[in-house]
Amino acid sequence: MIELSAVSKTYRRGEVEIAALRQVDLKVQAGEFLAITGKSGCGKSTLLHLIGGLEAPSRGRVVVAGRDLATLTERELTLFRRDCVGVVFQAFNLLPLLTLEENVALPRVLQGASSAQAAAEARRWLALVGLAHRAAHKPHQVSGGEMQRAALARALINRPAVLLADEPTGNLDHATSRQVMELFAALHREQGQTIIMVTHAPEAAAYAQREVRLRDGRVVA
Amino acid sequence: MRLWLLRLPLRHLTEFPGRTLLGVLGIALGTAVYLGIALAGESALESFRRSVAAVSGRAEWRLSAPGAPLPEELFLQVRRLPEVRAAAPVVESVLELEGPGFGPVLLLGVDPFAEAAIREYEFEGASGGRAALEDFLARPGTVLASEPLARRLGLTAGARLRVTAGARVAELAVAGTFRAPGGLYPLEGAVLLMDVAGAQELVDRIGRLDYIDVIGRLPGEETAAALRRVLPPGVEVNWPGAQARQMEGLVASYRLNLQVLSAIALFVGMFLIYQSVTLSVVRRRREIGLLRTLGLGARQVLALFVAEGLFTGLVGGLVGLFLGLLLARGALGLVTDTLTSLYTPVAARHLSLNPQLLLQAWALAVLATLAAALVPALEAARTRVRAVWFREELEEVLTRRAWRLAGGGLLALVTAGALAALEARALPIPGFVAAFLILLSFALFTPVAALLLGRGLAPGLGRFIGVAGELGCRYLSGSLSRSAVSIAALACALGMLIAVAVMIGSFRETVNLWISRSISGDIFFGPAVFSTAAYDRYLPPEIVAELKGDPEVRDIYLYRCVRLPFRDRYVLVIGGSFDILAKYGGMWFRQGDSVAILQEMAAAAQAAPPGDAAPGAVIISEPLAETFGWREGQVVELPTPSGPRQVQIRGVFYDFRTDGPSLWMDLHQFRRYWRDGHLNAVRLYLRDPGRVQEVQASLQARYGGRYRLLALSHQDLRHGILEIFDRTFAVTYALEGVAVLVAVFGIITTFLVLIIDRERDLALLQAMGASRRQIVGMVLVESGLASFLSFLLGAGAGSVLSLLLIFVINKQAFGWTIRLFFTPGIYLQSLVLVVALGLMAGAVPAWRAVKPHLAHILKEE
Repeated sequence: MIELSAVSKTYRRGEVEIAALRQVDLKVQAGEFLAITGKSGCGKSTLLHLIGGLEAPSRGRVVVAGRDLATLTERELTLFRRDCVGVVFQAFNLLPLLTLEENVALPRVLQGASSAQAAAEARRWLALVGLAHRAAHKPHQVSGGEMQRAALARALINRPAVLLADEPTGNLDHATSRQVMELFAALHREQGQTIIMVTHAPEAAAYAQREVRLRDGRVVA
Repeated sequence: MRLWLLRLPLRHLTEFPGRTLLGVLGIALGTAVYLGIALAGESALESFRRSVAAVSGRAEWRLSAPGAPLPEELFLQVRRLPEVRAAAPVVESVLELEGPGFGPVLLLGVDPFAEAAIREYEFEGASGGRAALEDFLARPGTVLASEPLARRLGLTAGARLRVTAGARVAELAVAGTFRAPGGLYPLEGAVLLMDVAGAQELVDRIGRLDYIDVIGRLPGEETAAALRRVLPPGVEVNWPGAQARQMEGLVASYRLNLQVLSAIALFVGMFLIYQSVTLSVVRRRREIGLLRTLGLGARQVLALFVAEGLFTGLVGGLVGLFLGLLLARGALGLVTDTLTSLYTPVAARHLSLNPQLLLQAWALAVLATLAAALVPALEAARTRVRAVWFREELEEVLTRRAWRLAGGGLLALVTAGALAALEARALPIPGFVAAFLILLSFALFTPVAALLLGRGLAPGLGRFIGVAGELGCRYLSGSLSRSAVSIAALACALGMLIAVAVMIGSFRETVNLWISRSISGDIFFGPAVFSTAAYDRYLPPEIVAELKGDPEVRDIYLYRCVRLPFRDRYVLVIGGSFDILAKYGGMWFRQGDSVAILQEMAAAAQAAPPGDAAPGAVIISEPLAETFGWREGQVVELPTPSGPRQVQIRGVFYDFRTDGPSLWMDLHQFRRYWRDGHLNAVRLYLRDPGRVQEVQASLQARYGGRYRLLALSHQDLRHGILEIFDRTFAVTYALEGVAVLVAVFGIITTFLVLIIDRERDLALLQAMGASRRQIVGMVLVESGLASFLSFLLGAGAGSVLSLLLIFVINKQAFGWTIRLFFTPGIYLQSLVLVVALGLMAGAVPAWRAVKPHLAHILKEE
């Protein structure tokens, strides 16, 4: 399903080169729930961004669902992000001026669904994450946990091949974190959703089937 | 793009109504000024065109002599010609109705029987139309008032009107009213009809006609050709509408200048939109990144931001149309006053709503907004998906690009210089393009200037004011993405203001100098309502004879002026006593000894026999030389009532009359060519120049009872000329004021956004122990420096631009050589104004930034 071969990523900040990932090899099977853990700055988020096609590796190959991302054009990459990947962020990243329903509907609208159809599906997904009653609210009117659940609904509405989650519980309290992780687990269990989650919280990582640990840009376990 | 996605820009626009309103207002004001000026100019000209059409009626051809009346007998000859189906004689003059607010009125002296074929009037009197017509024909001094004039002044049959005709006052009786077909009247209905013989007597034109209107029997040009074959030399056959075209040619430069100045307001509005969309892109980089992550394509991002600008343009344009209509009403008065005092009586009370102009103004607003929004929108679309998480990256890019932008500015400046050197006559299009390039170049210098100023002043201000000073400087050079555009917008508006003020100041000083060097004489004596547009107002001949015998008067300069239709414009032909001019210092010539030239011309003209066919000598004004590219020594052909004449140009003199280019000759020669003994005015040179006031008073006592005459001292004349000058430029100042207002909006928006955007930084500084005073100080240092920088750039742009306006655009548009006079006042005023405004613009957000909700701000992400 996902295969990274000898992937390295370096950033340039002025005169300084920073190596975020070094020679990473990784395979993820379809339907797998993988946690990537490690300390801050070890390259977890970069790894996630490479898999999601948000940026390109400096060296190595990233193949997702049979597609070598390096061979895709800008337009194909856009379509790949839209149709194959769902992303959940630590900071939720909901658009503040849209209601929760509109936020969730947005990826379907981008896919070409009619407004009515997208809205109906968004309501269904909001109900699935327990937010039916918050559909007309804007992000600043709901709690952190609710925002993250809405973000999850948005990531899933296009039924992506892979769900990427970047510290999904990083901004949540203990109880809310548990609720959100339960949702991830249910999704994986009941729908066979492939999930790759970056986290530094052991409690969150415990929900995953497998854990990959990074240190200084290398896979150590 | 899916319409659903338009919710995003729309929500942003409605979520921040204050900012949106400022953007909309910026474009609306720009559009309003553009449309207002265009509509006022168009309405004034349309009114003039209607006047011409109303007076022309069904006439196909108009016979007239160049700048002179026709002999009456010609009408009888023309009427008998087989090629002529109908002909009507007309005497036309502008009278002044006495009474507060009554103003000018057009007198048409007509023959009602001949008129019927050309113009159809309906007459109405106390006992019916027929009685009114009988009164009109039978009783001398009787007029018919147009229906709108009668309504406006409450005139009924039997009413009496006091008018000034030339230098004389007369009383006219109203026999009734008349209605013109289709409600078309010249001068917005201020028209009196009089029997042709009565009019000839009233305006001192016995035995003469101003023109004869003709309907031919042959199709099209054939009648004109037939007429030209049989008419005596000096009589011209023209299409009646030609007058309107010549007037349009005369005022074309005036209109273009206003139009370009009004476009500046729109240009500044474009900066506002550019800035607003740029700020939007900067603020929403996170959102763009997210949308790109969710699968939004680059083109869709572009479309979203262009749409945001477009909404502002569409709405701002519409609001601008509405404001423009209101503004046009105000501007109409100013424009018609200026046209009347400079060119010809124009009375336009109603706006002509030209849908094409409305559409053009709206389209211009939308296109300007699109162009302004496109650059930042492209920037947004090019943004890499992940780079959007870092706002600081944009600042880095801008800092790196600052020098490249400055290089672009230098290139624009060089191009402007090359364009300014191009030759252009009448419509200085390359000059205007150069003006925009100069503004653009200084706008492009802004990032480098902000970097240098911020970095350069940081250590000094740090020592002087403390940390607030240093941080203020750093923020100025570190937030180019947000502040550079606003600084540039204000600099452009200030640049225009300074340039126009320097140009007007220099122009005024040059005119002052010109009055001293070119206009000699102690007293200027002529008809009270002598305007350059009324050449048929004469000085009663007996007065000249009396003045010649006056012991107080040493010399008299005699003056006669006619307006000659020449090619596609009007030229003033002036006859004067050149021997007197030479005796009192001559004129201000471009080259050559003016006294010697004038003496020689006067001697030659006085010695020439009556039928002399040798080329005469003339001197011409600089604007005439520029208009037709004529030079000293050149021989040109001049149409005159005695036929075309060859004349040699002996000199070119500086001239700042605004009523068009002029050609001067000695009065003796003028009278040979024009066969006209009238005088319009005289200049008196006194034996004792210290007795000007006494002589003025005695002239008033001697002639005041009989005539309406005006005796102006040299000083009065100077004041009068400068007053007209100031009135003419009032519109210009108003336009520039609007541009500055628009730019000030920009500065206020910028600082509001800048501080809201930096709320977190400022809260952090406070949390770390910075006092409120330091925070406010820091914001004020930044806004004060930004305004100061706008001033520096504006002063630079304004100075360069003023050179372009003075030495290129004015020279090309009007043919005037203006001398540059330094006017430090405008620089000082702009500095005080802009820094005060900048500090005020910073004060509000600074106060907002120190409100005590630190924890909330710091917690919020």
